[in-house]
Amino acid sequence: MDSAITDNNQGYQVDRTEKPSLNHSLMPPCQVACPLHMEIREYIDLVAQGRTMEALQVIRSGNPFPSICAYVCTHPCEDACRRSQIDKPIAIRASKRFALEFGGDRMIQAEAETTQQERVAIVGSGPAGMACAHYLRKLGYPVAIFEAHSELGGMLRVGIPQYRLPREVLDTEVQRLTQMGVEIMTNTRVVSLDLLFDMGYKAIFVTIGAHQSLRMGIEGEQSTGVIDGATFLREVNLGLKPSLGEKVAVVGGGNVAIDAARTALRLGADRVNVLYRRSRAEMPADHTEVEQALEEGVEIMFLVTPTRIERRNGRLSVTCIRMELGDADDSGRRQPIPVENSEFDEEFDTLIAAIGQVPQTPGDFRVGIGRGSTIEVDPVTLTTNRPGVFAGGDAVTGPATVVHALAAGKLAASRIDDYLRHRYPLTREETRGNLTGDLLPETVDMIRKVGRLEPPVLSPEARAVDFKPVELVYDWETATNEARRCLRCGVGAEILFQDKCATCLTCLRVCHYHVPYLDASGTIQIPVDQCQACGICVAECPAKAITLRKPYDRRHITEELDHIFKSAAESKLETLIIGFCCQYGLFGTGTLASLWRGAKAGVWVVPVLCMAKVEGDHLLRAFEMGAEGVFIAGCGEQCARENTEFWVRQRVEKVRKTLAQIGLEPERLQAFVPGAVDEDPAGELDKFVEKVGGFYLASLVTQEVKS
Amino acid sequence: MANSLFEEKINSNGFLVTTEIGPPKGADVSEMVHHIDLLRDKVDAINVTDHQSSVMRFPSLGGCLLVKERGGEPILQMTCRDRNRLALQADLLMAYSRGIGNVLCLTGDSIDVGDHKEAKPVFDADSVQLLKMIKTLESGTDVGGNDLKGAPEFCVGATVHPEADFIEPQLVKFEKKVTAGAQFFQTQGIFDLASLRRFMQYASQFDVKILAGIIVLASAGMARYMNKNVPGITVPQAVIDELAGAEKGKGLQKGIEIAARSIKTISDENLCHGVHIMAVGNEGIVPDILDAAGLDAVHS
Amino acid sequence: MIVAEQKPLEEIRRMITPYNRVLILGCGTCMTVCDAGGEREVSFLHNALRLAQVKSGTGNHTFSEYTLKRQCDTEFLDLLAGRTYDLDAILSLGCGIGVQTIAERFPGLPALPGVNTSFMGVTKESGVWDERCAACGDCRLEETAGICPITRCTKGILNGPCAGTKNGKCEANQDMDCAWILIYKRLEQLQQLEKMRRYYPLRNFGTIPRPKRIVSKAVTAIGVNDG
Repeated sequence: MDSAITDNNQGYQVDRTEKPSLNHSLMPPCQVACPLHMEIREYIDLVAQGRTMEALQVIRSGNPFPSICAYVCTHPCEDACRRSQIDKPIAIRASKRFALEFGGDRMIQAEAETTQQERVAIVGSGPAGMACAHYLRKLGYPVAIFEAHSELGGMLRVGIPQYRLPREVLDTEVQRLTQMGVEIMTNTRVVSLDLLFDMGYKAIFVTIGAHQSLRMGIEGEQSTGVIDGATFLREVNLGLKPSLGEKVAVVGGGNVAIDAARTALRLGADRVNVLYRRSRAEMPADHTEVEQALEEGVEIMFLVTPTRIERRNGRLSVTCIRMELGDADDSGRRQPIPVENSEFDEEFDTLIAAIGQVPQTPGDFRVGIGRGSTIEVDPVTLTTNRPGVFAGGDAVTGPATVVHALAAGKLAASRIDDYLRHRYPLTREETRGNLTGDLLPETVDMIRKVGRLEPPVLSPEARAVDFKPVELVYDWETATNEARRCLRCGVGAEILFQDKCATCLTCLRVCHYHVPYLDASGTIQIPVDQCQACGICVAECPAKAITLRKPYDRRHITEELDHIFKSAAESKLETLIIGFCCQYGLFGTGTLASLWRGAKAGVWVVPVLCMAKVEGDHLLRAFEMGAEGVFIAGCGEQCARENTEFWVRQRVEKVRKTLAQIGLEPERLQAFVPGAVDEDPAGELDKFVEKVGGFYLASLVTQEVKS
Repeated sequence: MANSLFEEKINSNGFLVTTEIGPPKGADVSEMVHHIDLLRDKVDAINVTDHQSSVMRFPSLGGCLLVKERGGEPILQMTCRDRNRLALQADLLMAYSRGIGNVLCLTGDSIDVGDHKEAKPVFDADSVQLLKMIKTLESGTDVGGNDLKGAPEFCVGATVHPEADFIEPQLVKFEKKVTAGAQFFQTQGIFDLASLRRFMQYASQFDVKILAGIIVLASAGMARYMNKNVPGITVPQAVIDELAGAEKGKGLQKGIEIAARSIKTISDENLCHGVHIMAVGNEGIVPDILDAAGLDAVHS
Repeated sequence: MIVAEQKPLEEIRRMITPYNRVLILGCGTCMTVCDAGGEREVSFLHNALRLAQVKSGTGNHTFSEYTLKRQCDTEFLDLLAGRTYDLDAILSLGCGIGVQTIAERFPGLPALPGVNTSFMGVTKESGVWDERCAACGDCRLEETAGICPITRCTKGILNGPCAGTKNGKCEANQDMDCAWILIYKRLEQLQQLEKMRRYYPLRNFGTIPRPKRIVSKAVTAIGVNDG
């Protein structure tokens, strides 16, 4: 005999939508663009809720040294951020820094267990080397880092000025390595890899960076007063204070040149001129760095290059020639062509040449060298021509970014592991699809434009005098508001149960952003690259056929309710009030965060990610399980999505009608959605609690009268 | 050969005057009889309304029998709201057999405006179809195609709404009614003689007699009530103001004055072929209106 | 599409009073589209009935819920066969057709109507449904520019507007447009006003003797050539 209907799951129809493990989300463009494929969408959402500790956990699970990136990453994620199709990209790097500083980042790093025999040597301790050490150590290998300088960090230590990356931040991250059990040997320059093999290391990761400055190739560049950029920055970071005189020229247009220029200012130069042979548009330096340099008083002369330097009367006389842009060269940028007879002379006290760096690989390493003096490696396995010798970072790519180096180090660790364990080096395919595609105009039109909230920076006057960090961290309100601008690419709605869909077109009609549409065959499609995961159609679908692609809540709302009632029963509360409170904005970290701590006796909060997810069923269940009063609290005009208040109020009215039909006062259900700035939501809540208390007492009296 | 006294009057070219009597809500017809007696010699014919405004009352057919009994000339108002084609044809046969020779064909107000809001509306026919139905009966068959043993003959009329705010569809229907055989028309309440003139310019091409409907209002409040609740009636603001300006207790007097003024103008200028005076609930004052309008009392 | 409205909660509670174990059965087609009896409404009603039971202290019902794609075809109802042995009643949120089909398929089980089936109509916007068709069986939309005088005219008359229209609205319901004014305007736009000038005779109400049946299959004899 078949089972009875009532056998289905304690009398309920098996609700296929309630399975929390479904994850059909797509990888968002920010994550795809990040060389480390960090779960940016996830930690930004946690920042928007003010859950910095958990955001930090997500960050640290993807990046071994996130505080470095928080200061200096070139943020390819922001460049890929689709929010720029509306207004400006999310300030991801600054948000990451906020999470790090407020997330209780603890120094304690447990010592990793050594489970493998094979020892690995890492030559160079820049970000690639440090990352490789971290991951190899976690895999259980004994790891040793060999660093020629006195301190770890590579370019991080000697190349990046401290007003961008403070010393303490780097030291803290380095200390983690030590605590993990990585063996560190500073002041040790490796001259031969054979020696390392002789010492018993089974694999070597060569990551010596690119520290050798390129020559300009002009007459007089050996004169006193001419220094190369990398050397200059290294000396300053090591504590030396080279005297620069009053007028300084910096030749070049990359980050090193800008760093050198701003450092020169801070060392006391009166005038700093950057000479760059192309125009502003072609400058490879980070745009924000250039802006800040200009604010601090650095002058940039575009389309200018020096041709001759002569030391005269204790100063440098530099002959420059003007350039114009011709056709594009190999790098895709337009070639600078000298303009005939446009030479002019300028006098400087110091000239810093920062036109590029190359790796300087000792010949004894006997590894294959390619273009630009870089080490040649197989792009998949990162092996050089010598078995057991791997290479990565700037030594392979030429000067690149910190995050690329971190990614290279991470990949190297897993490749070295493959090598040592004799595994076939497979290219690991990402199983999830990437989200591609731009937002359609009709969707862009419906998204409210909100300006990007930049992290606070010191004023130019305040900062050009010393090496204090230029950029400050967000405060709570700014950080959560900025993070809420995220469009949540890839976790939007999908019709999970196409057989349940009656094509009633409700989702199409309630969506403010015009996302669901009818295709040619008359089937509703909800394109994942347009949906911003507000959750309204999910709650309004009459057939319960739609879900969000990734379960957003830690615990499902119904589970949360069950949990509350168990706890409430144990504590034997008399009047129980349930509040479904949005976790973003006001309630996550703002003025109503105190609700979390159950400030009012008997008020229990069910956290929801936007009140749009609260359905009529949830409200009824809350009453059924014994709540005397129920409220919903949302962000009102500040809600990151549109129309959420309208739909919540519709559901509230419907439940109120039902309450009245059952004989309960409709006022037991309330929605608090602050609109005006000067409203007092906390005060409103107090009044509501009082009123519910009144209802409860009245019902007690009626019961007594009846009996 | 005219089918009724009223039809004779129609065929002559005199100024026609009709009025209407609303039956009582109950079996006590004494007041209605009193009104019949009062009016039967003063007008050319008396309409008896048929559940006007969908309020259940003593039937029009019964009222017409009383008018006939008391020596008046009745016009049977017949709506399609409450009876299907069998009942309509049956009532027509009965009316004819008792010497009631005039029928005014109406669609009928909707159930929702009346006092039996849950009743089933019939509307088996509409006013145009009812006119045709009468013609069919006159030809000796019923609308089922069966031969009649004794065919009736009637003078038939219908209504028209010259002051409708969107007039074209009303005119289309008017023409259909003319084609279906209507011989006379009693209009909905006329308050604006200019619109009557415009209508007559168009309607005079047809060989039908038009009687302008004159509603007697007793107060501004009544006027506003009718605007809101009674279908087919729109009292203009100027009239409401004039009523409002009347002395306290003299509202009805003012209403009579306004009505008489309209009637006099229509009659003097021959704007149309006559008037149909609707003194809802105030049938007793009709003679006063006629006097005030200077109409000859001899119309029988 | 068939449009219905859920019955008031008190009425439903009164209906289920004699029955202990009640299955709330939803319908995944018309009733889902009109928000009266789809899976979400089934769930909401279930919660409301349980809450009412708890709050009133009366009633000893055990509810279960299920939603079928349709209730008007027995094959869908067959999915319940053999599993209804521990039910006392089925509270159907399907239209009247569904309720009757359930009653026919499960004659031993009381089939209760949870919605009032109201009309065939259109979704004007989310949450608003308007009646459009009376299933008169004698469609004359060609004559009236695609606007049905039977449904959209309160009196269902065929020869033009009555005198009750005011400001283009119907005397019976001032939120509804006078259908005949709409018909006139659209015929005018189509330059087909002569259709409105025609006389339309009495309707053939014989097209709807109840209950009606339509048979599309022909009667044929097997094995006999009819050439």
